[in-house]
Amino acid sequence: MNIIEINGLTKDYPLGATIVPALRGVDLTVAEGDFMSIIGPSGSGKTTLLNVIGCIDFATSGSVKVGGREITALNDRQITDIRLNKIGFIFQTFNLIPVLNILENIEFPLLLMKKSAAEARKRAEKLVDEVGLKDLVAHRPAELSGGQRQRVAIARALVTNPDMVLADEPTANLDSVTGASILELMRRMNELEKTTFIFSTHDANVLKYARRIVKIKDGLIDKEPVPA
Amino acid sequence: MKLIFTIAWRNILRHKGKSLVIGVILFTGAFLMTLGNGVITGMAAGVEKNIINGFMGDIVLISDAQKSDNILLPIMGASIEPVTSYKQIKSILAAQPYVKHFLPVGKNLAMLLDESASAPGFAYLIGADLGEYRKMFPDNFKVIEGTYPAVGERAILIPTFARNEFYNYFNIWFLPAGGTLVAKNLKKEALENIRTLVVSTSVVMMGMTSGINSTNDIRFQVKGIIEYGALNQIFGHFCIVDIESYRECLGYFTAADMAAQVPKEEKKLLGMEGADLDSLFGSEELVVAEHKAAVKKISLAPKTVAKTAEDGVYNAVFVKLREGTEYKDALAGLNKALSEGKTGVKAVPWNKASGPIGSMALIIKAALFLFVTLLFCVAVIIIVNTLTMAALERTSEIGMMRAVGARKTFIAGMFLGETAVLSAVFGGCGIITGIIAVRVIPLLKITTTNDILQLLYGGDYFHPLLSLSGIALTALQLLAVTIAAAVYPMRVAGEITPLDAVTRD
Repeated sequence: MNIIEINGLTKDYPLGATIVPALRGVDLTVAEGDFMSIIGPSGSGKTTLLNVIGCIDFATSGSVKVGGREITALNDRQITDIRLNKIGFIFQTFNLIPVLNILENIEFPLLLMKKSAAEARKRAEKLVDEVGLKDLVAHRPAELSGGQRQRVAIARALVTNPDMVLADEPTANLDSVTGASILELMRRMNELEKTTFIFSTHDANVLKYARRIVKIKDGLIDKEPVPA
Repeated sequence: MKLIFTIAWRNILRHKGKSLVIGVILFTGAFLMTLGNGVITGMAAGVEKNIINGFMGDIVLISDAQKSDNILLPIMGASIEPVTSYKQIKSILAAQPYVKHFLPVGKNLAMLLDESASAPGFAYLIGADLGEYRKMFPDNFKVIEGTYPAVGERAILIPTFARNEFYNYFNIWFLPAGGTLVAKNLKKEALENIRTLVVSTSVVMMGMTSGINSTNDIRFQVKGIIEYGALNQIFGHFCIVDIESYRECLGYFTAADMAAQVPKEEKKLLGMEGADLDSLFGSEELVVAEHKAAVKKISLAPKTVAKTAEDGVYNAVFVKLREGTEYKDALAGLNKALSEGKTGVKAVPWNKASGPIGSMALIIKAALFLFVTLLFCVAVIIIVNTLTMAALERTSEIGMMRAVGARKTFIAGMFLGETAVLSAVFGGCGIITGIIAVRVIPLLKITTTNDILQLLYGGDYFHPLLSLSGIALTALQLLAVTIAAAVYPMRVAGEITPLDAVTRD
């Protein structure tokens, strides 16, 4: 079953008096449980595509279905609920809440979902164990390395059992060894939690981790690459 | 909710500088608002205690013919219209359940005369039954030299302020009869000239009136020197005299005049129209021929008529209301009753009757309210600015929260929570400090001789006062500041989208 179905997606950005097309008619489907990479050079539109899929940005035209639901016509509250319940995010710059410790950062989305504190804590502890940060639960993000922060971000993205996790260049700010370990972790979590992972990258070394690679160029899907 | 306050509290600690700036503003604002409310309450209480309870009551009855309601300190000392229907008024007032006490008084300006002086001095006179006066205003002044007049005694009580003024006019130091100089009460200049100081135990005053009646110069025996419990600078212009002396001074009918009123039948003797007056002056007859028979029939002994002070003329009636009385209702009810009774008087509120005193009290109160409101606005503006800047600086964090599913209401709640925590901590400290200040300031006995400051102080010394409702009012004001200050930053923060966080990165 497809978790994402995109047809004729365009996204334009106004830049002064001119319109800059970022996506120019993307058609894409993503199956449940996939571990997919979107690749392309800088400015090709991969981040925009991820943002639209993740309900962070809105399409100019076209159709985007997430979990079978058309998201282009939803209001802010509905979109927010989809982000909370269906999607996990991993950002390039980690984007953790600086005033919360690791465990609190991980359980944050669960508390937004009104889960009980005990339930949230239990789930967060399980995740923090899975990402290998059990001994650092009381630390704040500023006290962690880049790799450790990204592990926290992965745990936070997975804590709500989302249908999919979107990661925009998750290894861009990490050294190659740490980046590899993060991708290993994502792959493991994909297998463990059966969660769909879609991540963008322009790093060729990352591609070997993807089961499916989508190449994007000038706002269009270039071709369906052979799974790595 | 716990999560919001956890984040809010930790953000406050994380951004100590900004938190401190907002905190100091909230502390200062809450402190000044508490103090301001204390001053306003203290002033209202002082006005009530000193002016309403101690000088003129809640409501003043004045003649319908009186053009200006300001009878206490009229412009150029304009004379006050007489009230001649007190007995009728008395019965009406006695029938009103909300009237606690009332006192008829005479009040006008008098000239102070001295044969050796080139120009007269001036003083306001309040004429009253001195026994009743003490019942109406039992502790509004103390007699610092001499004694309080006995019932029915004719006398004048001179306030210390007026005595100093009199000295300025004539270089005469007035003393109560039988009194001696009290060094500590002497005006500085009088003390310096004590060897040549001229003293007097009586004062000559002549009533001033713009009415048709002529006034008389009366020599008053100084019975006591008084000091008002508060607002001595303002009330010190008013000498208190017995009502009969007052009436004589102002040229009004006195109770004694009423006693000598000619009976109806004797009035015929005055009907001289058509009588042969030439015979009266051309013979040894004392009565014109037409009335000879009548004179023989009537007794020439004085007729017994009511001989009470209440029969004479007053200028106003001071009325005190019972506690808990609805002021406007009482005023309206009284005016209705007085009008229906055709008394020729009207009831006016104390603040109108007291003229500049009441106006100044209201102006000062309004100014204080304005000050507190301005403070409120300035605090809101500064906090709004600081919080808005904080919101924009935290775009990534807020955008990320939105990206992982935080609704706008959560973000707004987070900002409100931060402001609320700051308000509770710093504003709370400000309120507590304000309460302490309000309690400590009266102990310092900060005094003033300035009239306006005395009104602000609510008395002779600065005496701010805070009731529980005053504290609650300050807390409400602080709450309003908190909400008003958080609204715009909440809106700004709520408008931050996940995309803002991504693009900022």
